[in-house]
Amino acid sequence: MDRLAAVDWDPDTYVRDAQAALDRATTSDEVEQVAVTWLGRKSTLKLALREVRDRETGIRLNAIREEVEAAVETKRSAVEQAELRRRLETERVDVTLPAGLLGDVRSRRRGSLHPSTQVRRDVEDIFLGLGYEIVDGREVETVRYNFDALGFPDWHPSRSPRASLYVDDGTLLRTETSPAQIHKMESTRPPIYMVSIGRVYRRDTIDATHYPIFHQFEGLVIDKGITMADLKGTLQYVLRQLYGPEREVRFRTHYFPFTEPSMEPDVSCFNCGGAGCQICKHSGWIEIGGSGMVDPYLYEFVGWGPEEYTGFAFGLGIERTGQLRHAIPDLRLLWEDDLRFLRQF
Amino acid sequence: MRVPMSWLRDYVRTEATTRQIADALSIATAEVNGIERRGVTGDLSLFRVGKVLEADKHPNADRLQLTKVDVGETVLQIVCGAWNFGAGATVAVALPGATVANGLTLDRRKLRGEMSEGMILAEDEVDLGTDHNGIMLLDDALAAGTPLETVLPLVEEVLDVEATGNRSDLFSIYGLAREIAALFDGELVPLDESLPARDGDEALDISIDDYDGAPRFVAHLFRDVAIGESPVWLKARLRNAGVRAISNVVDVTNYAMLALGSPLHAYDYDTLHGPLLVARRARGGEEVKTLDGTVRKLDASDLVIADADRPVGLAGIMGGEETEVADATTNVLLEAANFEPVGILRTSERHALRTEGSNRWEKGVDPHVAGAAAAMATRMIVELAGARWTGAADVQGDLPQPAVITLRPERVTDVLGLEVPDQAAILAKVGFTQEGDGYRVPTWRARDVTREIDLVEEVSRFRMEAIPFTLPRRDVTFGRLTRWQQLRRVAEEALVGAGFSEAYTPTFVAEGDYRLPEPLSTEAAALRTALAPSLVEAARQNVAWGNSDIALFEIARVYRASGGELPDERWHVAGVVEGGIADAKWAVEQVYAALKLEPAIERGDERLLHPGKAARTSEGWFGELHPQMLEGAWGAFELDLDALVEHAPDKVTYAEISSFPEVHQDLAFVVDEDVPAAALLAALREAGAPDLRDATVFDEYRGAQVGEGKRSLAFRVAFGSLERTLTDEEASAVRTRIVDALASTFGAVLRA
Repeated sequence: MDRLAAVDWDPDTYVRDAQAALDRATTSDEVEQVAVTWLGRKSTLKLALREVRDRETGIRLNAIREEVEAAVETKRSAVEQAELRRRLETERVDVTLPAGLLGDVRSRRRGSLHPSTQVRRDVEDIFLGLGYEIVDGREVETVRYNFDALGFPDWHPSRSPRASLYVDDGTLLRTETSPAQIHKMESTRPPIYMVSIGRVYRRDTIDATHYPIFHQFEGLVIDKGITMADLKGTLQYVLRQLYGPEREVRFRTHYFPFTEPSMEPDVSCFNCGGAGCQICKHSGWIEIGGSGMVDPYLYEFVGWGPEEYTGFAFGLGIERTGQLRHAIPDLRLLWEDDLRFLRQF
Repeated sequence: MRVPMSWLRDYVRTEATTRQIADALSIATAEVNGIERRGVTGDLSLFRVGKVLEADKHPNADRLQLTKVDVGETVLQIVCGAWNFGAGATVAVALPGATVANGLTLDRRKLRGEMSEGMILAEDEVDLGTDHNGIMLLDDALAAGTPLETVLPLVEEVLDVEATGNRSDLFSIYGLAREIAALFDGELVPLDESLPARDGDEALDISIDDYDGAPRFVAHLFRDVAIGESPVWLKARLRNAGVRAISNVVDVTNYAMLALGSPLHAYDYDTLHGPLLVARRARGGEEVKTLDGTVRKLDASDLVIADADRPVGLAGIMGGEETEVADATTNVLLEAANFEPVGILRTSERHALRTEGSNRWEKGVDPHVAGAAAAMATRMIVELAGARWTGAADVQGDLPQPAVITLRPERVTDVLGLEVPDQAAILAKVGFTQEGDGYRVPTWRARDVTREIDLVEEVSRFRMEAIPFTLPRRDVTFGRLTRWQQLRRVAEEALVGAGFSEAYTPTFVAEGDYRLPEPLSTEAAALRTALAPSLVEAARQNVAWGNSDIALFEIARVYRASGGELPDERWHVAGVVEGGIADAKWAVEQVYAALKLEPAIERGDERLLHPGKAARTSEGWFGELHPQMLEGAWGAFELDLDALVEHAPDKVTYAEISSFPEVHQDLAFVVDEDVPAAALLAALREAGAPDLRDATVFDEYRGAQVGEGKRSLAFRVAFGSLERTLTDEEASAVRTRIVDALASTFGAVLRA
């Protein structure tokens, strides 16, 4: 206490006096002035702190410092808020003026379409050329359209809330765009030649190859006399359009709830031409989606005869297509919206 | 599933190479993700069976043995560090020149002064295990000099097979062998269901309380079981299949499961109360400590195996710790049951416990194969553990009998687009026997082949590559973008032209009309009702990355409460741009102009915006971001794209251009600050009709000359008639109409 007395101040009233000074301040400048006076290098408090030799006094003075700092901070933010409010009240423009009179419109370099949009447009154009309609249904769907109609058995893991994103018990974010195809089948009779494109959702942990949101393009063809050969030919055409005319396409048998027979198309690796490399995991082939003949169950679901028509369906990923085309190593880049990335495309 | 080729080839005879097998399986059966080559490399003839003739302590080293080993044509002196053998042992030897698993190539060299010509092998040295505590002891019946590769799998190729969930039969090596035999016209070795001679006739108390959950329960009792280590070949196979070796009896159950796809379990018979076993639903309050040491609280949905007093295992998923086979076990009860898939899946999910067993049961295992699995395990337990087989029970409900499914040959053609005259032969190879105009489904395919179309798929699998590439032949075609899709492209182009780059931001935000019951995270807990906040976040990130001249837009859906079952999903277009309200307005003008629309603008109150610089249009809003949203000045806008498309004119109708000269004038008016330019312009146009051809605002001015609280707005106007050239008097009459109208409506004063 002696040492404190030596610098001629009263720690007991310091906080109160600082607060009184703050109370009188009404502008940012005045608050800063108070801060300098009571906390600055030459403030009584700082000078006293410099003289401190024992721990107890140090703790006490630091407590005072913290208290004053907090008070200044509170006042500072209150004054700033008030000043901002005043500024926002006085800054007022006639919003009906043309852009050029509202301020300087910067001239900007041309922007860019997201690579996924570019793929989407290519896909649209390829299928328009084949005489297909482009459809995007809705994203929140009923369990009935997302699973039941598509023949997902009760036990199918996709139905679990651990795999899919439910909005409530009966509705969820679609896990594929196929519900749009069921809606189409319910609203019209074949011939149906359509491709649905849009956002789909799965509860995946984000990493280089997974993101809970992605985009699919799924085709559906139903007509008289449609065969697996037509499916093979169509996908071969589409994949050559997307990946280059010299690509080979092969099909592997697979299982999907809504197609029978089911198969997965592979495209020969455009990087190594089939010799094997990192991109194709040394197999020469790149997996790009799923496909198959429409399961007769679906015809019955919409009230048609099971053999009146035949048809095929397939589903491929927009992001995957974009990644393969542009050699984008990490899926997350497509969702980070970094202009250094976006402006490349 | 990991499939060692040597094991697979026990069941199928074919000339096909591993690569050919992998490729063919991938196309027709199940994808092979890779072929792993394991074991030693180099000259396999340098690995032999050896007989230890002499084994003594190394004269110069206490911890080494000096041995003489007969390896056939010669006797080698080998220094060895292991002590688990002596003279007379049959061992595995690598000769000088051989390369062992760690890549070391052996040579003759002196060890502590004594020549050592090769190596007596421990299992890790030939990649057959991890044990390096002693050398491998082989069957004494083997002759010295026998090539080791005929005794042990020195080289193994392992297929990584990813079967689809519908094909439970492919989660077994025999099931894959069956496919390979069909694919390559190879010979499938018949399933050996033979049993060794019974040594006793003990009654077993086995029962099933819930035939839906457990249709079958086969149990075999073994006495005088010598629990011990499995032979090297068995351990090697399990290891290559990705299963850890534990003890001979447990290894046998795993081996039979991998071979045939039907999981088994072994109990220490003496720990069972009763002794009896029953397959039943758990009762309230029961619990069981499973082999992983976890105490599991059970409920009535869990199927358990229980003895007289308590559950001793979660049926099909994991056995209980108290009844497990241990080193001291001498009497073993083997369970080869069958469990229904959905219950197993539910219980395994509820207890977050997935095992090799549950993984198979949840796909639906053929109940008929339980007998064969029990037979294989019984033969092996008797042989490998010296056990006596003394009792058997086979309790079963009504097992499903194979169905006969009709297949019309032309249906195959109709679906495949390819005639397959030999479809009966193809189906026969995978076990479908022809009966009348149909086929009897083999028991192992009863779950996934139930309809004619499933048989068509069976045929298609074997003709996948023969099916040609064609395009549908069509009577009609109707491919074009919808109007909405066209206009979305127009909007995209307008914004790209205005300098905006397109962003894709997540659908999820912290708050919205629809909250997810199980959110991805607190920041991704609800469906968004607007795009702009996500774009503000993206802009903030871009600032952090140091990017400049930031201008981002997005076209995506928002989700609003609809009152009905499903949300009202609407497409929005939104943008965030460095600059201010002028830049936002510019972008909005571009979008509207591209859609041939003119925005009706008024002051707005969007909460993201600076209150003095916020505007509303009938399709959305634009303005300057509220300074608390982002540091610096930013413009932002969000428009309802569906509404824009709806309001956009279907077509533009030509408005006649006058062939007579127009009079151009600039008119400046002084008005009160709060009179919007758009209101003046609208009044000006109305007053100027029909001879006002065009009018735009081109200047705003404030200053001493116009006075406090007022501003001057300047308009460029064009007067003209479609019929003739306006006279000066006519033009000035139009002008007077305008001046008078603005004066009376707004108190506007024309500046001289």
